This record gives sequence, structure tokens and C-alpha cells, in this order.
Amino acid sequence: MRFADAVEFALASLRKRRLRTFLTASGVMIGIGALVSMISFGKGMQKNVTQAFKASDLFTTVMVMPGGAEPPSADPDRQRPRVMAPARTDAVLDDQAVAAISRIPGVLSAYPDIGFPAMVGFEGTEEFRLVQVVPAAVAASRSLKIRWGRAYDSDAEDGVVVSRSLLRRLGVADPASAVGKRIRITSVSIDLGRLATLNLGSLLSGETSPVAQETYEFPILGVNEVSAFGGEVNMTESAVMIPPGPARRIKRLPFSSVWDLFRMRDGRVGYSAVNVKLGSLRDLGAVRSRVHDMGYATFALADQFDEITRAFYFMDMILAAVGMIAIIVAALGIVNTMVMSILERFREIGIMKAVGAGDRDIRRIFFFESGAIGLVGGTAGCALGWAASLLVNRIVNFYLARQGMPFVDYFAFPVGLFLGAIGFSLLVSLISGIYPARRAARVDPVVALRHD
Amino acid sequence: MSPTAPLLVETRSLSKTYLVGDVRVPALADISLAVPEGSFLAVTGASGSGKSTLLNLLGGLDTPSSGTIEVGGTIVSAMDREALARYRRFGAGMIFQSFNLVAARTALENVELPLIFAGVDKTERKRRAAELLDKVGLAHRAAHRPAELSGGEQQRVAVARALANGPRLLLADEPTGNLDSRTSREIVGLLAGLNRERNLTVIMVSHEEGLVREFAQAIVRLADGRVAAAGGPA
Repeated sequence: MRFADAVEFALASLRKRRLRTFLTASGVMIGIGALVSMISFGKGMQKNVTQAFKASDLFTTVMVMPGGAEPPSADPDRQRPRVMAPARTDAVLDDQAVAAISRIPGVLSAYPDIGFPAMVGFEGTEEFRLVQVVPAAVAASRSLKIRWGRAYDSDAEDGVVVSRSLLRRLGVADPASAVGKRIRITSVSIDLGRLATLNLGSLLSGETSPVAQETYEFPILGVNEVSAFGGEVNMTESAVMIPPGPARRIKRLPFSSVWDLFRMRDGRVGYSAVNVKLGSLRDLGAVRSRVHDMGYATFALADQFDEITRAFYFMDMILAAVGMIAIIVAALGIVNTMVMSILERFREIGIMKAVGAGDRDIRRIFFFESGAIGLVGGTAGCALGWAASLLVNRIVNFYLARQGMPFVDYFAFPVGLFLGAIGFSLLVSLISGIYPARRAARVDPVVALRHD
Repeated sequence: MSPTAPLLVETRSLSKTYLVGDVRVPALADISLAVPEGSFLAVTGASGSGKSTLLNLLGGLDTPSSGTIEVGGTIVSAMDREALARYRRFGAGMIFQSFNLVAARTALENVELPLIFAGVDKTERKRRAAELLDKVGLAHRAAHRPAELSGGEQQRVAVARALANGPRLLLADEPTGNLDSRTSREIVGLLAGLNRERNLTVIMVSHEEGLVREFAQAIVRLADGRVAAAGGPA
């Protein structure tokens, strides 16, 4: 029997039982559709996160921290990940240290991570936020996506960059309209003179507190868009960014965190962290070992990337496993359909054998039949998975757009995914066809010809 | 058939026993036949005498429990499944009481079936199938499905199909069992004509004494799975 004839036989038989063929292929279609959309979601997440990391310069940024005890986090089980421990714990991370780090070959820039709590007000509304002091060079870098207005030109320029999400919290619908308007920053400071004469009793009895508030106004120069992935990991996406110049005018607590005070040495309070920008990822090891020699701890996101990649593989596997459940159900559907088909065509199989069909011919016909179901179901499943993903993507983006998030493709469809899915569907259907095909081939023609 | 014609079919001590549960039911016992090429042999006997079993064994649809079958110098009883399929395809054509046409296929497509399994290409097999239908007088019914054909027409299609790959042996299992007497005579006449014109060896199982006497050159009567009588038409 020729190959083309076996295919024709199989297709003729499928055409004859249209409804059942359609239902069985639909089962495969749904299974493959689920698998394709699951995997494309995993691939999409991976692509988005990887791109966000690459675009934000995070790979070439090293965070330098003082050694010693770690400050507690809100969740005591959640430590800062993978901080490389230093040799010494008494090194203070002050301006001298920042200057020394800047001089290490391979370092483009180093600037302290200075932030202070403030009440941020715009027109009638107010929000508590951390104001981040960011040098102009960093604010102007490609890692900061300023969508409206501009970044500040120098460290001395009087103005701030705010995030779109903050503006939305402050009731501003159109970010462009806020550019040029003034924003209020209220900070707290401690009157050290009054502190000396105070005791707890007098504080409670209603005397004024040594804690003073002062409000400053700055023009909004630009509004940046928070990327959908990476989010607040990136300090350059803080709610309010202010250049070092005007930041110095603001009366505030002389430390970012109260924990910094515990690291004080000889009366000097260091920064809680210094951001170090590298020219290239290749310098990471060398720069890091120099910084460790100076007695500081480091944290680089590049370390995390392998783990992130591993996590994505794991996620892909879980998503694929969920999709596999649907495939297994579809495969059982194929087996059922094919076994039913044998029972219905029992006599026909006998006739074919009586006129000279060999076991191999019968096997082939049934094998091709289940293969055709898989091929058609798999192809339709790819289309279904693609269409469903497109729809989900539209809906999710519609809701996220209302919250000010940019449009993101949450699904990725590499060509290999489609080809792989169709190939996989064919494979599963052929495997499902093995038992029915063998059973059909074993039909005894004498028994089959007696059968009505 | 010339008196000195070589043997086409020879069986020696052929037996077939079916196992029904734990009980061995003998269907055929010790059948030894010699059928010269080009002869028309009728096999008669009461129902259950083993006629159909004998034909199934000769046609390669079933395998004997013991004994040998030799057709055209080849030991059919020693063949494996694939060789038996080839034998059914090329060596022996079969027709049945209930015609056994594939309902979903037209007359022409039914005749094409053995050619498909023989790997004949489409144009050639269409040509050959049409020619065979013409031979049995059904060229005008080629595009009809079995349900649209009369019993006699269906059996003619079956005959055309049995001859598709040019076998030397035609086995007919009660070919007139479902037909009226006039059509029965036409069908057996058709077989006899093929027997004469093509030197086709025909072995026909039949109840119909009249037809058997009229057309067969030799008759074997079976009783309880054994040869009860053998000879020429009485």
C-alpha cells in the first residue's frame, strides 16, 4: 500500500465521521491551546524581566554596603539576598569611602544611596514617600525612562523628577500637565539644642517636640514611567528624585535609616549604601574584590540572574505540567475515538484483510488517522492558544493602562513554540494511536466477516 | 480443463479444530484434495459440515490445525501473517454469500481495493477496475454505492474485485445464497465463463444441487468435516 493511499484512507474515514473527528480534534486543540498559552506566558515573563534588567543597567550596578549586622527587615525571614560578606566590619561608608570607590578602575561613578522620608504634596493632596537623592548623571542615564518633561541637567539644578504612579496617587490624571508645576516636600529634622533640655515628662505634658517640620517647594522637571517589570528594585524609579544640590538645602535627619547610627565609628555616620556603576560587567569581579578589601559588603543583581533563569525554567515546567493535564485528557479522547472506530469498522477491516490488506496496511491506516487528528488539533490549538493569549493580553493591559502602567506583551510566541507544539501534538496522537492500530491489525478476518 | 492439467491446489490431511472454551470442536478432519488448474470444483454438504472452514483455509483467511495446503507450488499453510496477506492479495480471490463490499465506497472503489493494497498507482488501478467492471457487465454502475445496487450486481462487483490482481484461483463461498434463482444462475454462469475463458480455477461452496450439477466439473461432498463423496457431476 502506498503512503498517499494510506493517508487518503485515513482522511476518508475521518471525513465520514465528521462530528466525532471534530470533537476529538477539539479536545486536542484545547489541550495544545492551553499548553501553548501557558508556555508563551512563561516565555513572555522571562523575556520581559530579562529585558527590563538589561535596559535598566541593573546588571552593571553594584550596591556597596557597610559590613556587620544586617538591619532588620519588615519580614525577619527575608534577608537581603546574597550579600557578599566583607573582611572587616568597622569601615564607615562615608564621603571619603565614596571617593575611594570612584577611583577603582572600571568604576564609572559611585554615589551614595541617600533617601529621606518626606510628606509630598501637590495641590490639595499629600502622600508619604521616600525622597531619593540622585546625581544628575544617573538621572539622565538611559535607565531612567522620562516620558514627560526632562531630567535635571546638573546636580545643582533646582527641580525634581517624580514618578507617574506618585502623580496618580496625588490625583493627577495627565502627567504632562504636572510638568512645570511645583511640588511640596515636607521633611522632619531634630532641634539638637532643644533636645538637650528635654525629658520625656515635659514632652508628654504638652511641650512642643524637638522634632521640626519644614516645607520646601520644587518645580517638577520631568515625570518618569515605572517599568512594568523590575519595579522598585531599581532605585532610579523612586517616587521623587532630587539632585544633590537642592537636597543639601533641605533640613532633614542626617542619616537614611536609624540603623546607620549603630554603625557609627569615631562619631562618623556612614551611608547605608553606595551605588557603584560599572563600565562593563566584566569588571564586576575585580571591582568587587577591591571593595571587599576596603571592608565593605557588596550586592550585585548579576548574581541573581542565574537564579532568576533557573526560576523561569521551573516556572516553565510547572506551566507545561498544567498544560500536560489537558494533553493527557485529549490523548485518552483519541484512544477512545480510535477504539470506537475499530468496533464500528470491524467488518470493513475484515473485508480489507480478505482482499489482501496486511497487518502493516491496517496499522498504517489507523495510525495515520490518529496522526491526522493530532495534526489538525495541534494546528488549531496553536491558533487557539495564540488568540486566547492575545485576548487575555488585551484585557490585562486595558486594566493596567487604567492604573497608568505601560503596555506590555505578557506572552511571547517564538516560532519554535508553534512548531514544537504541532510536533508534540502529532507525537502524542501517534502514541495514542499505537494501541488502536495494533488492535485493528490483529483483527481476525474470519471473525470480522461473520460480524454484522 | 485438459485431462492432464497440473494440480493448482493440493491439501494433505488438512484438519481444523476450534477451541470453544475448554472444548475442542473439530471442524475439518483429514481432508486431502487435489484440484487441477482450470477446473471448476463444487463443495457441497449440510450446514456445519465444514465447507466454509475449508474455503477460509484455502483462501488464506484462516490457518489449519494440522496438514498442509499447497497452491501453485507454494505451501500456504506454512506462511506467516504478511505472506498470507500477499497470498490473499495475489494468489486467491474470494467472494462471499453476503458480498462483503465496503458500504462507503462505490462499485469502482470496491474493485480498486485489492489494487490499492498491491501498491498500484491511481491511474492504472482506475483503468483496471473499470475494465473489470465492464467485464462483469457493470460499467454503467461504476459510481454507485453497494446500497444502490441489486444483490446480483453487488455479487458481480465482488467477482470483479476478486479478480483485480489476476489470481489463478477463485474461491466462492455460497455466492448465490442471497440471490433469487435467476440471478443465481447468472452469477454461477459468470464464474463458469471466467473458468473457461481465463482458465481460472474455481472452487465454489454451494447448496444448490441444480447449479452445481449444471456447471461444476467435480463435486466434493463434506459431512461432519470429512470428505463423504467425491466425483464428477452425477
